[in-house]
Amino acid sequence: MTDQKNFKTRLKIAKDKLKNNSIITNNNENSSFIGGAFKLGTELVSAVLVGTIIGFILDTWFDTKPWLIILFFFLGSAAGILNVIKVAKKMQKKD
Amino acid sequence: MATNPMHQFEVHRIGPEIKLAGIDLSFTNASLFMFFSAAAICAILFLGTKEKKLIPDKFQLIAEMFYNFIAKMISDTAGSKAKPYFPFIFSLFMFVLFCNMLGMLPYSFTVTSHIIVTLLMAIFIFIAVTIIGFLKHGFGYLKLFVPSGVPLILLPLITVIEIISYLSRPVSLSVRLFANMMAGHTMLKVFGGFVISLGMLGGWLPLGFSVALTGLEILVAFLQAYVFAILTCIYLNDALNLHH
Repeated sequence: MTDQKNFKTRLKIAKDKLKNNSIITNNNENSSFIGGAFKLGTELVSAVLVGTIIGFILDTWFDTKPWLIILFFFLGSAAGILNVIKVAKKMQKKD
Repeated sequence: MATNPMHQFEVHRIGPEIKLAGIDLSFTNASLFMFFSAAAICAILFLGTKEKKLIPDKFQLIAEMFYNFIAKMISDTAGSKAKPYFPFIFSLFMFVLFCNMLGMLPYSFTVTSHIIVTLLMAIFIFIAVTIIGFLKHGFGYLKLFVPSGVPLILLPLITVIEIISYLSRPVSLSVRLFANMMAGHTMLKVFGGFVISLGMLGGWLPLGFSVALTGLEILVAFLQAYVFAILTCIYLNDALNLHH
């Protein structure tokens, strides 16, 4: 019985130690910031690309060249800026 | 031919030509290096988990480090609900990491420098995440495209923009990995070519650049695998915990 009690207190001490450790390691998370920086550029470009492709497909579908491709190019640019804002907000939240 | 910086990306057949229903299924150097990376992952994890020592040896330490790294990443970005998807994200990260790292060896082939490989993985993730989102939230998942607090007049416009933004995920995910790997390897080859063409007199400067770039490329190889995995976690988080 005393053995079990002994084990329980030891487990508690170990768990507390683990908790303290995880707080310390959370502070020096540098790699996620570099990762975030790498993300921003392609976020913008890919949305413009996808928007333009959608415009192109719809244009050939409805035979309305070149109006939908122009419209969707601008919508894609807006989506790209939205993507960048979302990523930037996420990065700020981490601070 | 050897000085052509794009020569390293050529896919060529190894062994006999295999055709199945008009589709070329031959074994290529790309398949060979995919096999190598899968084999390396299996070997390291097998050696690492063979003897479960209290004080780990080198292989066990590596295996445990990888496990902890991914487990921590998932719980930090996607929460405890994402625990069941650990095996998928772990294998994804390991595969991308080992393909990138094996590509750093001289005379090797970088599988991830081909957009078809990265696009396939990204589209698979995209479809899987969409299915998970619909399974967890039903049609409520469509709320992702309708942000709250938007005036009714602007709603159609915002919804279209949000849908484009959602569809751009697999493109940005795949293009990022592919472009980073391809640009880095081309640059290494170009600077290597400068060393040869400038000879003993002027070749030292590009040689120094080459050495520095190799270090940078190893960082990029790791970082891109990390970004690929963490973005998968973020997309999974959006599907599991709907915020809007």
